[in-house]
Amino acid sequence: MKWLELLTVGGATLVSAVTVVVLYSLGVRLTAIAGDQRAAAPAWLRSLAYTCFALCGLAVLFGLYLIIPYFSG
Amino acid sequence: MVALVIALALFFDFTNGFHDTANAMATPIATGAITPKTAVALAATLNLVGAFLSTEVAKTVSGGIIREGSDGVQITPDIIFAGLMGAILWNMVTWLKGLPSSSSHALFGGLIGAAIAGIGFNSVNLETLLQKVILPAVFAPLIAGIVAYVCTRLAYALTSRHDPDTGSKLTQKRGGFRTGQIFTSSLVALAHGTNDAQKTMGIITLVLIASGTQTPGSGPQLWVIAACAFAIAIGTYAGGWRIIRTMGAGLTEVKPAQGFAAESSTASAILASSHLGFALSTTQVASGSVIGSGMGRRGTSVRWGMVGKIALGWLFTLPAAGIVGALTALLVKTGVVGVVIAAVAGTGAVLYMFLVSRRSQVGHHNAVEVEEAGQAVRFAKKKALAKARAKANESARANESKDTQR
Repeated sequence: MKWLELLTVGGATLVSAVTVVVLYSLGVRLTAIAGDQRAAAPAWLRSLAYTCFALCGLAVLFGLYLIIPYFSG
Repeated sequence: MVALVIALALFFDFTNGFHDTANAMATPIATGAITPKTAVALAATLNLVGAFLSTEVAKTVSGGIIREGSDGVQITPDIIFAGLMGAILWNMVTWLKGLPSSSSHALFGGLIGAAIAGIGFNSVNLETLLQKVILPAVFAPLIAGIVAYVCTRLAYALTSRHDPDTGSKLTQKRGGFRTGQIFTSSLVALAHGTNDAQKTMGIITLVLIASGTQTPGSGPQLWVIAACAFAIAIGTYAGGWRIIRTMGAGLTEVKPAQGFAAESSTASAILASSHLGFALSTTQVASGSVIGSGMGRRGTSVRWGMVGKIALGWLFTLPAAGIVGALTALLVKTGVVGVVIAAVAGTGAVLYMFLVSRRSQVGHHNAVEVEEAGQAVRFAKKKALAKARAKANESARANESKDTQR
């Protein structure tokens, strides 16, 4: 039944969008912390921020990989 | 006849790209994430790429809605011609009048109307129509809106920082979302290619099947895919320049974090639906997201009147394009003379509307449809809130004037 497919679309949309937004927001937050003037932030914080951005990009690429029939067969 | 229909279909694709660039690129340009020139070129390129990615929607259009082949009613290129005429005319009228409408629904409406008038009521596959067009049309904007709401909430919650001692705000660097917007809006453009370019491919495939040059049930051919991809990309590039002028006039207040959340949800919703072959309207999904993300930001209220107006526009598209399609189908049925009359009248109408649009000022009402969705959400500024507590009446008036400024 198509209701199931509709539910799939809803679920997939929620999961993918939330993943992307959460990862990116974390990245933004970490950059903000790392950039604080007041307290000297540890160096790994900034690299963690970049890791978040990278993971976000990877999540997007993985989503595309799933969709494109050329890759998934 | 086949060549004529293909040309018409490609023209429809062009207007589609023309119409919908705003959906993808309006917010990043508004927040200053990218320069308009880059944005338009990027959108065009990604539309091109997106068109090649997935052909599920094309198969829905070509193989489901109207019964073709031996077991169903024989559909002729004439019917498709009539349907396309209905779609293009309705598209041009709404574009000119600034009504929020969906190119996709215009297309389906036109086709269905033409099929009913030309062949009969049983030519339309109601089940597929309901499952792959009507239901997604209702639910996709809703899904996108809810997801955008959640995402906006999350984005703001995750980036809000307060000093634990004093409670004062710390730097949040939400401007970082501006960079992210470049990527999310690119994804929207890509998604647009995977859904909207497909519809034209479906139509051309349908014509080829109808004329007997392609076996029923097969997917679009490579040259069809390429032609459609280029048509929509060129349309996107051409349409972009109108939007650039619009941007000078100012846009709805969209914060980078909101835009990011809205675009991620739009792109996910469209890509997910494209993958399952749901033919939905990019315009509607983007509008749903914009409203959703607007509601997600604190201190906003929804103007349901505006939402109702948008919904009404959506409701009208299918039947209105259907009527035009049906009328054209009746005209075409009378023979070659009818076809010529329809073609000439259609071209004349399109040309006339194009000339009228040239004369009239470009306002954001006729270039950016999602803009209307943005207007459905009212951002109460801090000043306005304070005023509201003091004098309810005056603040209402202030908001009104703010709305007109937008």
